[in-house]
Amino acid sequence: MDVMEKLTILADAAKYDVACTSSGNNRGPQEGMLGHAVSCGICHSFTADGRCVSLLKLLQSNMCIYDCQYCHNRRSNDVQRATFTPHEVAELTMRFYQRNYIEGLFLSSAVVKNADYTMEMIIETLRLVREEYRFGGYIHVKAIPGADKALIHRAGLLADRISVNIELPSQASLAKLAPEKTKETILTPMKYLKDGIIQSKNELTLYRHAPKFAPAGQSTQMIVGASPESDSKIVTLAEGLYNKYKLKRVFYSAYIPVNPNMPMASPPLTREHRLYQADWLLRVYGFSAGELFSDADENLSLDVDPKCHWALKNPQFFPVEIMTADFKTLLRVPGIGRISAEKIVAARRVGKLDFNDLKKMRVVLKRAKYFLTCSGKVFEKYHQSTIAARLKDGTDFQQLNLLEQPPGIGMETQTASMFVGDKATFSSHDTASSTGLILPVSHQKGAAI
Amino acid sequence: MTALVFDGSFDGFLSVVHACYYEKLDPISIQPAEILTLMDEARYIETHQANAAQVYAAIKNKISPEVAYTVYVASLSPEEDRYTALLAYIRLGFKVGHMVGSHLQVEYVRRVRDLHRQAAGEAHLLFGFSRFVETASGVFYCQITPRNNVLPLVADHFTRRFMNQQWIIHDKAHNQAAVYDGKSYVIAQNPGDADVTLAAHEEETQDLWVAFWDALSIESRKNWKLQRQLLPIYFRKNMTEFTRQRPIKKPPGDIGRFIEG
Repeated sequence: MDVMEKLTILADAAKYDVACTSSGNNRGPQEGMLGHAVSCGICHSFTADGRCVSLLKLLQSNMCIYDCQYCHNRRSNDVQRATFTPHEVAELTMRFYQRNYIEGLFLSSAVVKNADYTMEMIIETLRLVREEYRFGGYIHVKAIPGADKALIHRAGLLADRISVNIELPSQASLAKLAPEKTKETILTPMKYLKDGIIQSKNELTLYRHAPKFAPAGQSTQMIVGASPESDSKIVTLAEGLYNKYKLKRVFYSAYIPVNPNMPMASPPLTREHRLYQADWLLRVYGFSAGELFSDADENLSLDVDPKCHWALKNPQFFPVEIMTADFKTLLRVPGIGRISAEKIVAARRVGKLDFNDLKKMRVVLKRAKYFLTCSGKVFEKYHQSTIAARLKDGTDFQQLNLLEQPPGIGMETQTASMFVGDKATFSSHDTASSTGLILPVSHQKGAAI
Repeated sequence: MTALVFDGSFDGFLSVVHACYYEKLDPISIQPAEILTLMDEARYIETHQANAAQVYAAIKNKISPEVAYTVYVASLSPEEDRYTALLAYIRLGFKVGHMVGSHLQVEYVRRVRDLHRQAAGEAHLLFGFSRFVETASGVFYCQITPRNNVLPLVADHFTRRFMNQQWIIHDKAHNQAAVYDGKSYVIAQNPGDADVTLAAHEEETQDLWVAFWDALSIESRKNWKLQRQLLPIYFRKNMTEFTRQRPIKKPPGDIGRFIEG
């Protein structure tokens, strides 16, 4: 089998891994090495499904001994199998990197023979890439659950980021869908990685040249919708992973039914999107998982984003005064993100701000206007109870079709035509409407609606 | 109240700033000389390295190094009003110091922020979207057509990235090229066409990349609108994965390879 064929098979097999970030580590150029890493990450291309291509995402092999039901590469599936030699992966990485196709390598693998054997194969590839091909770019590697600590440590020293997939949000689901994996085999390496990363950071403060262990941190991924867990459970789990295991990112992947006889259908993509929004609220916006859910609704609302949902449930925190509220409070206003909050905090130090200024500064007011005051003034008066309806996508304004009757106007037009028959249309009886337009009397009711 | 013209370089612009201060000028417009029409009456300001250095050092020391860099990056944008906005920005900077970027209530401060964002943003995209080909001589060649004059920023990035590799980045839109010899790069104006004879395994590598790229998209999740938003079509003409012919002909829509709008 030639490299082209292997590449097609093993890239296709790896594409369901969602993480493709190249961020989190700043490594300057080094003498004799090719490449460097920048902490913001760089996207190199985008596929037809709109996902970024940043890393050469490959499986070392797809000859799996496991039989996880959600997985494309499970042993009972009839798919083409292939294995890369370390040399082939290294050669591909270097050639693609020299042409600026990629930011680095993302190497994962199906479990071949056993976890340790697979991990050794991956390490050999990484060693070749780093030490013989002198590659200085970004490397993300998967730790195989159940592999020996020493092997995981070795991988962490060669890679920038290392991750263990948690796959499913509960032990029960794991037992059902991935019977060969257990909670322990997943959480043990995660804990080990956390300790390793903290230890390495401590050593670095003492010795400048101490070896760096996974400097871009660790991440994980779980599949959403293949098992019955609620959003509340998933987000709480993610919070635990951020706090206890110091993860950099948790990725969610809306389950895609790749295998024909899976019990569940694919969940709506909006659910994945809402989970990511909630995830950002945890990491960046200072929310806790408990705030986002109540006993009544265990799932995130599909109509409005989680921050809006929280704000509607907690009107006691609003409105927020733009000139005095602290940064953290501003971050909690729906529609105001980090950039907007930073702009507001900077600009108000040097002068007063009103809604017009906010608009010109490109702070998006679509949602924020219901929750803000500028020097005590509100944007427009709304009744509290109408805000929820206005925030739901598409109900604030409605694009009318020229040929369609807008709802509720049909009757008015009928009376209008009767009127027109009686009198001249624009007579002295016409009065000015609130918008300043002169309308025939009979049209006014319709306009008011 | 006059219109000022200069040679269009960043040093030229700094010389204009120098002249505005030392000759108490209050220009209504500042433009590079080449876009001047016969109808305009304008005064030409000579570029003086010493004056430019003096102004740049003053911005660095009296405002802040970050503001100096912002001014430089914003001047790379192609918008016509960039120099007038920048002059106003620098003047405000000398009054209020390093907080000048915070005065977002002021129109030209917002404008400079936008110009900076435009140029820096395009440069960042090009860090990812530039594609090199290996030529027979071992030099890697890359062609870009940016809207902003961001070649220096892009070349700086690749100097760090491909430190021990010789490369040329050819900016066809501004007719200039950055040439790196393994130590430092120089920017050549009007470079003419490069001899791009491909290295032996170049075509094979391109095919591998294209095969990898094609294999990546998930059929059931096609989202061309999102793809266009993140990877605008005007970058695609220089990107291997969009321009390379496939061995088996697939309709471009199948794998989201639209090049033209």
